[in-house]
Amino acid sequence: MTMLLAAPALLLIAVVFGWPMLRYAWLSFHADSVLTGLEPVANGGANWLRLAADQRFWLDAGQTARFALISVSLELLLALAIALLLHQRWRGRGAVRALTLLPWALPTTMMALGWRWIFNTPYGPIEVLARSLGLNSLDLLSTPSITWLVTVFADVWKTTPFITLILLAGLQSIPDDLYSAFRLEGGTPLQALRRVTLPLLLPYILLSLLFRLAQAFGVFDLVQVLTGGGPAGSTESIALYAYLNGMRFLDFGYSATVMLAGFLLLTALILAGTLLLKSVGLLRPLDR
Amino acid sequence: MTHESLTHGPMTRGSMTPGLMTQRSLWIALLLVWSLGPMFWQLVSSFTTADALVNDQLSFWSRWTLNNYRDLLSTDPPFWRYLFNSSLVASLTTLLTLMLAIPAAYGMAKLPDRWKGSLRAAVVGAALFPYVLLFLALLELARTFALGNNLIAIAIPYSALSMPLALLLLTAAFEALPNDLEDAAKLEGLSLWQRLRWVLLPLIAPASASTAILVFLFAWNEYPVALTWLSRSDLLTLPVAMARIAGSSTYSVPYGTYAAATVLGAIPLLVLVLVFQRQIVSGLTNGAIKG
Amino acid sequence: MKLRRLLAGGALALVMALGALIGSASFRAEEVSILMPSSFTDASADLVKAFNREHRGRIHLSLIRGPLNTESISDLAISSLLLGDAPFDALLMDVTWLPKYAAAGWLEPLDPWFDQGDQEQLVQGARLGNDYDGHLYRWPLVADVGLLYWRTDLMDQPPSTPDALVEVAGRLVKSEAVANGFVWQGRQYEGLSCDFLEVLQGFGGDWMDTTTNAMELDSPEATAAAAWLNGLISEGVSPYAVTNYAEAESLQAFKAGDAALMRNWPYAWAELQKDDSTVKGNVGISLMVAQPGERPGATLGSWGLSLMRQSQHQEAAVEAIRYLTSETAQRQRFLNNGYTPIQADLFNDPEMLKASPVLPDLLVGLNHAVVRPPTPLYAQLSDVVQRELNGLFTAAGSADEAMATTQQRSQTLLRAAGATP
Repeated sequence: MTMLLAAPALLLIAVVFGWPMLRYAWLSFHADSVLTGLEPVANGGANWLRLAADQRFWLDAGQTARFALISVSLELLLALAIALLLHQRWRGRGAVRALTLLPWALPTTMMALGWRWIFNTPYGPIEVLARSLGLNSLDLLSTPSITWLVTVFADVWKTTPFITLILLAGLQSIPDDLYSAFRLEGGTPLQALRRVTLPLLLPYILLSLLFRLAQAFGVFDLVQVLTGGGPAGSTESIALYAYLNGMRFLDFGYSATVMLAGFLLLTALILAGTLLLKSVGLLRPLDR
Repeated sequence: MTHESLTHGPMTRGSMTPGLMTQRSLWIALLLVWSLGPMFWQLVSSFTTADALVNDQLSFWSRWTLNNYRDLLSTDPPFWRYLFNSSLVASLTTLLTLMLAIPAAYGMAKLPDRWKGSLRAAVVGAALFPYVLLFLALLELARTFALGNNLIAIAIPYSALSMPLALLLLTAAFEALPNDLEDAAKLEGLSLWQRLRWVLLPLIAPASASTAILVFLFAWNEYPVALTWLSRSDLLTLPVAMARIAGSSTYSVPYGTYAAATVLGAIPLLVLVLVFQRQIVSGLTNGAIKG
Repeated sequence: MKLRRLLAGGALALVMALGALIGSASFRAEEVSILMPSSFTDASADLVKAFNREHRGRIHLSLIRGPLNTESISDLAISSLLLGDAPFDALLMDVTWLPKYAAAGWLEPLDPWFDQGDQEQLVQGARLGNDYDGHLYRWPLVADVGLLYWRTDLMDQPPSTPDALVEVAGRLVKSEAVANGFVWQGRQYEGLSCDFLEVLQGFGGDWMDTTTNAMELDSPEATAAAAWLNGLISEGVSPYAVTNYAEAESLQAFKAGDAALMRNWPYAWAELQKDDSTVKGNVGISLMVAQPGERPGATLGSWGLSLMRQSQHQEAAVEAIRYLTSETAQRQRFLNNGYTPIQADLFNDPEMLKASPVLPDLLVGLNHAVVRPPTPLYAQLSDVVQRELNGLFTAAGSADEAMATTQQRSQTLLRAAGATP
């Protein structure tokens, strides 16, 4: 009886999350483009052959992975620092904590519009600041090697509060006596951080890492509105490429292939990361 | 920020030197500037004239105007329409999700452990999944079943996408309840639905509130599905409308109006966050602990 | 008694008839809406007002002001069309989108309304790019072609062959008469494909045969074209910076007097005659160079109006299309906004010639127009070419390798998308 209660919700999840991947797998072995009247026609492994040699896809995959790894690393470091600050007791802590949540609550596309202005050359505040400091035009949004850093910045700004809360929860779960015991044995605060806090915080760090890595790999809203994938495709992500293939090029078969490949790459990335962490022994606290 | 204050949070109360306090105040100030600065800049820009935006030499008093808001509110469709659409979709989604997730969480909490583990793993997997990758299949469904441009229909995929998180939070809440309350109710002859309605629901109210606000925020913020399922300009949700505004630049520096749009679009969300911040925080932290 | 009833009946019938007449006269005018990029809607505002005045009560035309950016407006239109819910009756379409929209079944053929006679009134270039699969799907509004701009003060004649161009430009650079020889669009974007197509045509090559879906990019002619472009950079005839130039950058360089030759669109002419132009009065227009015996090419960029299949007001929309593309409309658009006309007569019109002395050169260009491959997969194919060419210019490697790779990738693409060979 109780399973029946859960059936509708679980069914909905199974359909909405499970069906697409199956569909993509099937579709990737078909040509489904405007040439076939947007109807699937079997074409063997042609989409996969194309993907293997598709310079644009592999470029985007590298860019996406780079974005995800750098973003998440920065977010973790920043969130840790902020969580440590918010973990102390001082007046107004609750209010500040609420205020720091605001970036996370705003839609990415909305803030992307804001960032376009803030980083605008030549009129945005960053450029004005640079000029007043005597620097040359920064051209942050039109220099291929730099613009991706702007997307990292925007992503860090938005998602750090989320990780901060998770780490804060972790910090709050560490009993105070551990610290007093450590101090009594003559440990310095820095050692306490390394030997007490971080190990106990590890599950939370890993959880945030996993969650954020998966989300960052699928970055779409930010790059579509802030840069459109430019300049010169330097910020194009796998999700954006898949979207363009579907919605702009009307090649649904290839779009499905790109998305499935992206998903497989993400899984591989996570597996590789897990193996790496296991080999370094960092996953031991999770064996509970 | 010395490491002493880092790790010995509760112990430094009363043992703080003035130097440490101002040092911490500095960090707090920096944190606030970092978090709120960009939004504040949007606010300032939204009241700035187009000329002043490109010319930082203009005198202070001549820089301000309400024109950006006036232009924004006189567009077709009017800006508040997008806020309404988003609110409608978010409300429907929250309702649908709670309606399905609460009974489901109850059922899952009662499951024998051997099933629970793998089921939870599957749900966690779904919660981590980057849902943008689902957009093509969902678009196909919209085309096949004519679900596009329908603010009610879009609540279905939204509900499905927010279901994993809802299940995790609510299952944890049900599991945390002691059995005696329900047993007592059973003894009094209350049926399952009556037990849920009168005994259990009130008990998990905080978790329900957290779930509701998180689902609501998710539906407000969602972009890829809305982008592909909604094309009529009077049906757009806020994120899609903002993207369309961003892409339709026909002027060289329209940023005053953009900033005004950002401010107006942010206000409902800021209010929600400030009012429900306790629920949001507890929801996220509980999700983390149980996840 | 009977008479009274008869009179009453008659009066009632009369009232009903009058009512029906009045009713039909104040019958709502047909609403026609056309989606266009904002630059065109702004330029057509007066035309729309005039149209609505002339057709008051019957047709009411409104223009939907879309994004300025070409890609953005196509994305906007497609998102509606994919959901089967497009709020516009007609769409201003770029020449490269036509095959895609037509193949997707979103357009209504215009054959019933425009015949051979109408076609013959257009300049040769404007007649291209409007058909797909044997039907007419688009009626042109404006047409542009790529042109070779040359400095009349630095040479007597513009070069007409690739070798001549290299010789003239090389000589001028060496003698330091000018900083750069020839500037063009070499950045990795659609503009590069346009430039490449002209050179390809000049070397006697072809991009693809769209009847058989056969790619022809690894032919000796295509390889020669790519090698020539690459050689321009490696031999210093064109500056390396050209690999990042779009239209604006090449125009800027030419306008400042830093180049002897430039490839650009007709709009550049007006820019070069402005007072802040160093080369004002010293600019001539010609066709892109071609090998002896080959016909010079000028890539066609044109916008035209297409009718949506799902429109409920097709007749009315076609009337609006006719009006917006009429001779009067073209004259006005040219004189007020500088949009190249497409009606053949207008190129001999004294008023038009007075406004722009280069109209005859534009006509020659239009008569040598070449279209980019009219395949629904054009955007993806262009992407492959842009990538490979820009890669050839900026890294080591031969034109042979680059074109072989381009050919192979293009073929894989076609096959994967279901193109039957």
